[in-house]
Amino acid sequence: MLARAHTFTIDGLRTRHVTVEVDVRRGLPGFTIVGLADTAVREARERITAAILNSGYEFPARRITANLAPGDVRKAGPGLDLAIACAVLAASGQLPREELDRVALFGELALDGAVRPARGALAVAHAAQRAGMRALALAGGCAHEARLIDGLQVTVVEHLRSAVRVCSGGPGDALPESAGANSRERARAEEGGGLPGSDGLAEPDLGDVRGQEHAVRAIVIAAAGGHNALLSGPPGTGKTMLAQRIASILPPLSSAEAVEVTRIHSLTGERVDALATRRPFRAPHHSITAAGLVGGASRGSVGEVVLAHNGVLFLDELSEFSRATLEALRQPLEDGRVAIARASHSAVYPARFMLVAATNPCPCGYAGDGERCDCGEADMARHRRRLSGPLLDRIDVASVLRREASDDLRAPALTSPARAREQVLDARARQAARLAADGVAVNAHMDVRALQRHVRLDARGEEMLRAANRRGLLSARGEHRVLRVARTIADLDGSERVRARDLGAALALRPEPTFTGNRAA
Amino acid sequence: MSAPAGRTGSGDGAGACARCVRRSWLLSMLSGALDCCARDRSRLIELLALADEELLQAVAGTRKAELQAQYARFRLGAPGGETRARMHEAGATGGVDAVAEIDVETDVETICRHRRGYPRALDGPAAPHMLEVAGGAERLAELASAPVVAVLGSRRASDYGIEMARDLARGLVASGVSVAASMSDGISAAAHAGALEAGAGSIAVMGGGLGVACPARRRPLYERVVDAGCAVSELPHDCAGRRWGKLASARIVVELASVAVVVEADETAEDLFAARLARARGGTVAALPGRVTSPLSRGAHALLMDGASLVRGPGDVLELLYRCGGVAPGGRSSTSASAPTPTPADASAGGEDPRRGLRRELRMTLERVGAGCDTPDKLTRAGVDAAEALLALSELELMGLLARGDGGRYLPRSPSN
Repeated sequence: MLARAHTFTIDGLRTRHVTVEVDVRRGLPGFTIVGLADTAVREARERITAAILNSGYEFPARRITANLAPGDVRKAGPGLDLAIACAVLAASGQLPREELDRVALFGELALDGAVRPARGALAVAHAAQRAGMRALALAGGCAHEARLIDGLQVTVVEHLRSAVRVCSGGPGDALPESAGANSRERARAEEGGGLPGSDGLAEPDLGDVRGQEHAVRAIVIAAAGGHNALLSGPPGTGKTMLAQRIASILPPLSSAEAVEVTRIHSLTGERVDALATRRPFRAPHHSITAAGLVGGASRGSVGEVVLAHNGVLFLDELSEFSRATLEALRQPLEDGRVAIARASHSAVYPARFMLVAATNPCPCGYAGDGERCDCGEADMARHRRRLSGPLLDRIDVASVLRREASDDLRAPALTSPARAREQVLDARARQAARLAADGVAVNAHMDVRALQRHVRLDARGEEMLRAANRRGLLSARGEHRVLRVARTIADLDGSERVRARDLGAALALRPEPTFTGNRAA
Repeated sequence: MSAPAGRTGSGDGAGACARCVRRSWLLSMLSGALDCCARDRSRLIELLALADEELLQAVAGTRKAELQAQYARFRLGAPGGETRARMHEAGATGGVDAVAEIDVETDVETICRHRRGYPRALDGPAAPHMLEVAGGAERLAELASAPVVAVLGSRRASDYGIEMARDLARGLVASGVSVAASMSDGISAAAHAGALEAGAGSIAVMGGGLGVACPARRRPLYERVVDAGCAVSELPHDCAGRRWGKLASARIVVELASVAVVVEADETAEDLFAARLARARGGTVAALPGRVTSPLSRGAHALLMDGASLVRGPGDVLELLYRCGGVAPGGRSSTSASAPTPTPADASAGGEDPRRGLRRELRMTLERVGAGCDTPDKLTRAGVDAAEALLALSELELMGLLARGDGGRYLPRSPSN
């Protein structure tokens, strides 16, 4: 007898619909799974056999063939267990077959028949809804994740027996306790409150920063226009502190972005309780490898740049990252995506993020800070070489932090975080309205044509740009970057025109080509 | 002295006599021993003042007999002590044709103190006997016949010192004065860069043979200096100068110059060595002040306390040059009639000062930066609106009146064009 069940498998960021066909016929007893299954799926045989027997059903002592279609898609992960088990039961007549066509099943089986949550429930729910499934049955542990998708009935099945009941038209299990608390959290998150799951933990906030107005201003500008920023300065001046607070002034995710972000995070097996509302903030350690940064170390592993999609990638101690790692950032910075091709698989992931980097100005860290720096010129040249080149070429906004006098540190914060957030929101709204026709959301992503259309300088601004070119201070690419930043500064001020003062500030924020200052040639 | 036959006396133009070439060879052979003696800097200078035999006696140690024999046998072009320049000068003999050809490519000339065109200032007892010149002996003669100012300072200079050295060299060169400096990091390199900005060359005194003395990271600067000015060394082409070579090059720098300006130096024997040499020689020593709290300016301040002339910019140096009487107004005009006649008044900017006619807010910003409000934050705290401050800083930078220094600071500079 033949039975069919539906489930999903995750291939990179794509979710593939998998039809499980089980045929039970006379012959030497055995259980074969075919259809490009990986180890976890092949091991499912043992789990399924034990789970069926331990749940009190009969495991047919016949020749069983399970086919996972389509045959050319590699199936991975234990999430297919539940569907295969139900198909086996249906094929052996212990379960009505009709209902299996309308309910997608997703979950890993324990040997006693209990259903365990599997990774990527959100992505599966998203795909199930698009595939037109009536309901999705999965473990209680990941049901709340699936419930974030509208238009799909999510049924909780805690045990193989519940799955059989559901497939016979019965009710599902109750949602576990934590899901109730979670919906409250979700409600709060939707109100724009704190990060879900971070109760009692104060969110880092721009108000914690004392002094450093110039750097704070640079960060606000970078956040408003989605520009890549570089903070440099001696140790202890607050580069890291400031960078970590960028997330607090970024606007919340739009709903499409939120699904994208949450799907990516659900892939990594993180517990996802609600749609993400905050932009991701990723801060990998500088020992990270290129594969760790862009992904692809093993099949399905997602890199930091992908996890930072729609958010911030923060690289602290930029000069300590290996050259190869930094080079790997070029494609995502340029295209907003990473294409990973390995022998076994290839995949394209979205990776549009805002790069925020922090670095010391020289190997000892004290260049420009009084006379404490004892780096020779050769050290400086080496340090500069590490940073310069392709990466520095993609930095739009650079700011140098200086040591603050201690009484400045006790003074109240000058920048109100609420005001900064509001400014950024306004500026982003302005940009979105202007750039809607260009298919981008922020000034940082404007192409040259959009730039010509949306950035018109006044006479004084034109003169400044000419002077900069005459002095050799700007390359063509540098000029475009300065104009984008100037556009953002004008947006922050609520000005439709880009005035000379906007251009002046953008010029002051441009990164030095030599970076640590005008050392002799 | 059993000098082997060679061309001595005054020839015309470049070239070096055998005796001077032999001296250079001897120095390269004694390089290791001299490096040992250079721990005592003043002893090194005394040693360099000795005649060849005395020098051999003094430092050759166990290799004395061997070196004396080689010295006696020394012939131009002999395999015992060839350098490329010498091959070229002596004409190829026997199997050394290849060496002579290589030399033509390196474009190095030699000149000794017995030839016309050798810098007349190099007449002290410890002065070098012979120089290898990259960039042309003629150009060296031309540069050295103008008043020469030595720019001295620390290898570990601050952005302020570097900017000042650059300004100084630029202003001086624009006024028809030649600048001499070694080729080490910091102030010296900045002086050469400044001279190049003014579109003219400087004299770089190398601490070792011209083929090997320049570190790779200085190559681009070195090549530009050789294109526009010249680089000189008293050592054979491929002799690494070690430490003593650097000290010895300092003596050439100060001997070439009629005024030595210390831009930024710590109060260490190393940083002040050249200035002390200049003073011992009776030359005019000047110093450019810095912050009293900066250790990098301690040396300059100590010199000022000792009576060095205070220098604020190229104008002050020019005034010193004329007051010292060593130079007749007109500078380089003795060799090239077209050279501009410098006067201290217009020296600093080379003509019209763009600082005049600045808008009020720009002038105020420039003054504030000069007074120490040199970051956007400090300007804001001094009461300037943040956006206005950034605009003014950018505009001034575009005019070339400000440059970016270390740590986000801005530095005033004199405009170059």
